[in-house]
Amino acid sequence: MIEVRNMAFSYRRKQVLRDVSFVVSPGEIVSVVGANGAGKTTLLRVLATLAVPDSGTVMVDGQDALARPLRYRRQMGYLPERPALYEDMTVKEYLRYRAALKGEPVKRIRRRVNEAADLCQVSHLLRTPIGSLSAGLSKRVALADALLLRPRVLLLDDFLSDLDTAMRDAAGEVLSNAAAFSSVIVTGHEIDDFARWTTRFLVLRDGVIASSVDATGIDVAELRERVDAVIGGDER
Amino acid sequence: MSPVRVTFMRTVGVARGLFSTVFVIGGFLAVAALSFAYGLETAEGGRLPLPVVWASRVAPLLPALAALLAMDVWSDERMTGRVDALLSAAVRERDYVLGKFLGVWAMTMLAVAGFMVTSVASVWLCAPKALAGSDVCSFLLALLALALQTGAWCAVSVAMSALFSRPAAAACASIVVLVVLPRGLWEGVMILSEAGRRTVGTMPIDAHVIDFASGIVPVGSAAAYVAVAAVMLFVATKFVASYRFVGRGAFGLKVSTGVSVALSLVLCALTLLFLRKVNPVVDLTAAGASAALSPRTRSILADSGGGISITSFMPRNDPGFDSTARLLRMFRRESASVGGAGMQIRFVDPRWDIGAAERLVQNGAVENSVVFEKGRRMVSVPVDDDFGERACASAVRRITFPPQRRNVYWTVGHGEIGYDVYGPFGMSDIARDLAREGFLNHPIDLAASRSIPRDCALIVIAGAKDDFSRAEIGRVDSHLREGGRLLVLMSSTKTGGVVSMLPSWGIRPVDAPIMEAKTLTGTDVIVSDFTDHAISAPLKGSRIVLDRPVTFVPSAVAETGGSGADNIGFSAVAVVGPAAVAAAVERGVGGGGDLAVRPTRIVAVGDASFAMNGQLAARASANRDFFLNCAAYLSGADAHAFGGEGFDTLETGLDRAGRLRHLAWTAAFVPAAAVLLLALPVVRRRRRA
Repeated sequence: MIEVRNMAFSYRRKQVLRDVSFVVSPGEIVSVVGANGAGKTTLLRVLATLAVPDSGTVMVDGQDALARPLRYRRQMGYLPERPALYEDMTVKEYLRYRAALKGEPVKRIRRRVNEAADLCQVSHLLRTPIGSLSAGLSKRVALADALLLRPRVLLLDDFLSDLDTAMRDAAGEVLSNAAAFSSVIVTGHEIDDFARWTTRFLVLRDGVIASSVDATGIDVAELRERVDAVIGGDER
Repeated sequence: MSPVRVTFMRTVGVARGLFSTVFVIGGFLAVAALSFAYGLETAEGGRLPLPVVWASRVAPLLPALAALLAMDVWSDERMTGRVDALLSAAVRERDYVLGKFLGVWAMTMLAVAGFMVTSVASVWLCAPKALAGSDVCSFLLALLALALQTGAWCAVSVAMSALFSRPAAAACASIVVLVVLPRGLWEGVMILSEAGRRTVGTMPIDAHVIDFASGIVPVGSAAAYVAVAAVMLFVATKFVASYRFVGRGAFGLKVSTGVSVALSLVLCALTLLFLRKVNPVVDLTAAGASAALSPRTRSILADSGGGISITSFMPRNDPGFDSTARLLRMFRRESASVGGAGMQIRFVDPRWDIGAAERLVQNGAVENSVVFEKGRRMVSVPVDDDFGERACASAVRRITFPPQRRNVYWTVGHGEIGYDVYGPFGMSDIARDLAREGFLNHPIDLAASRSIPRDCALIVIAGAKDDFSRAEIGRVDSHLREGGRLLVLMSSTKTGGVVSMLPSWGIRPVDAPIMEAKTLTGTDVIVSDFTDHAISAPLKGSRIVLDRPVTFVPSAVAETGGSGADNIGFSAVAVVGPAAVAAAVERGVGGGGDLAVRPTRIVAVGDASFAMNGQLAARASANRDFFLNCAAYLSGADAHAFGGEGFDTLETGLDRAGRLRHLAWTAAFVPAAAVLLLALPVVRRRRRA
């Protein structure tokens, strides 16, 4: 479980996040949506320890994550908004490299790589050089990287961009599987796609969580309407 | 697998897949080969052994190689955004930095080791003579020095790459920090600071390599490179950690990181100063390097005491500068290690240090020499073909300790110049110098003495105007037959009765005026031609001034090779045109002679006034040295030792075609082969992609 309390973040003179608090339980897939510049990416970068908050805490299973960042990063998988991979490597080499880097024992690396590749549907690409992959396929590889060690917190920034329709459709299954061991936080603008598998929407407006919308058991159209209403109707 | 190992392998793997790496290494091999070929050319006939030449030619290129290989290890990650993936993994920044550093270091050292193998192979193929006297140990020590330096350069380059987000900027910054700043600082010291110029000889970074390759391992310097590498890796770690310091909340972290970086740099500077002060030295020359000091030299140094100032009085661009500086450093270290005299080495470049050079010249030193000073005693050893360990050791011995108190007897009663007369026409100054050299001055009245005392080391007849009686001449003669020593300073106005004695010992004075163009007053003669005699060889390049000197020729005794078993060797010492104005004879040595018998030595100088107080004070000349050299030679002290047996000289034996072959092999074939070899896997990877 990840619990964010009173998080604030400012960059230069601009207050990007203000008093952000929420909890994501294991098995939950939370979609953070909002207009451009609302602070979605910043929120995930702070949670990925790539930026330092002005104030607030991040608790993972009751432990202060920011106080012990190394331990926290072992439990966290992060997919950046624009993942950059090593283009000279094949997919398999890359995933093996990442698994080794994250400290996975050598004898388990192969299994982890195969699991993650299967999960993200890139098994057939394992011998393909990353440089020859499309943006969408690269994103899948990056997602496999984030899922490699079955993290307890999974942070996916702008997850669905660059993915084709088939993969978007499959994303729900991927994330549902991931949610079996993770608390998943996703950002993006694809509310319709999110609505199919997300458990809750957090609507971010001007750095503040303006609304938390429970998505279970609600029609997609209604959900979109409610979320759009909070965002301000300018997001589609 | 540890993150360090994974990052290391990845760094090497990335570099292997880049054409830039191929061209950087190929370029390095080509430039290093050209530099080495040029170094071999200039070192030909010099005293620097092959490993030193090799290492000193490679070392200046390593900062650029490290900068180019390390420029994108971090900046590329930042530019592409991959740094987010790296920093979100549970890996410490220091592990990343260490892994990348090790990767760059390994590649750099592989290039250096590859160049060592190819350059040694090329020398072996083209100029095997040059390998004589070199051994594997020296090359390995040279490689160790380069590895230490490269470690520091790579750490700095990795730190610069972490600081700048553009590889080109990182490379430029590295080159500024590693090349422009230290070399600029050194050049600045050379140009602006007289005191700094005198204390710094060869640039320390280059000198360390030369010392290592010579088998003298300065542990302090080695530790300094390790310290620099450690601190720069710490700084690089902080730079990488600061990538996270985004947002106002990171202000405190930024400040604390800045403070820790500044403190680490200060600590590094203090460590370097401390290590420079302590700098213990491990002498591995016994392991096979060709630069070990001889036991005799070590013995002389061990017996020396007090403080000795050694001045290298030669231009820094002189081909012999580095080897001379290296020899002096070896003397200093050896003296310190055997508890001998404390040696302070200074460097006076006659082109720049005009004041200091003028002082040295006034004191009788000659340009292109090494000047040993202790108190008011000074010995100048010319850096010529005879320069080397033995010459320096003799100089140290001569200025450091008189071997024993030797008695000099000055004859009186024949109008001689008084050694105890303080006016301009006396010789009190030179007598005082003799006393400093360990001599005891005594008068001797040959008419009143039944014989010459047995403790007499030297008789000086200084400008006798009146004839010596037969009894007096007989006493001198019998003293000489027993291996006595005599210094005759001829009076130009009246030669005295001693003249009649000299021909039987091989010297015939000729009272013929010398017409010499080089004159100051019209009657005096400036002598600047000296033979290779022990007295005069150290004076080459300087001058002495004699007033109306008498000249000397070998007498019939000397010309016929002496009588009986004795050989008489006549040596012209100082020459004006064809005439000798000073001559020395030695009898009782040579082939078949009994070496246990003390040889007789006589030196005759055509003018007595050259050593008078007024003459010594009036003109800058080497008159004083000349007199003291005469006294030292006659009394048996080491005036000058010939030869420089301490060092082998580098002989490649290459003619023009051989040099071209060597150049073609090292600078063209090897780099081209290396580029092809390295490029193959890159092409394969690219094709696969």
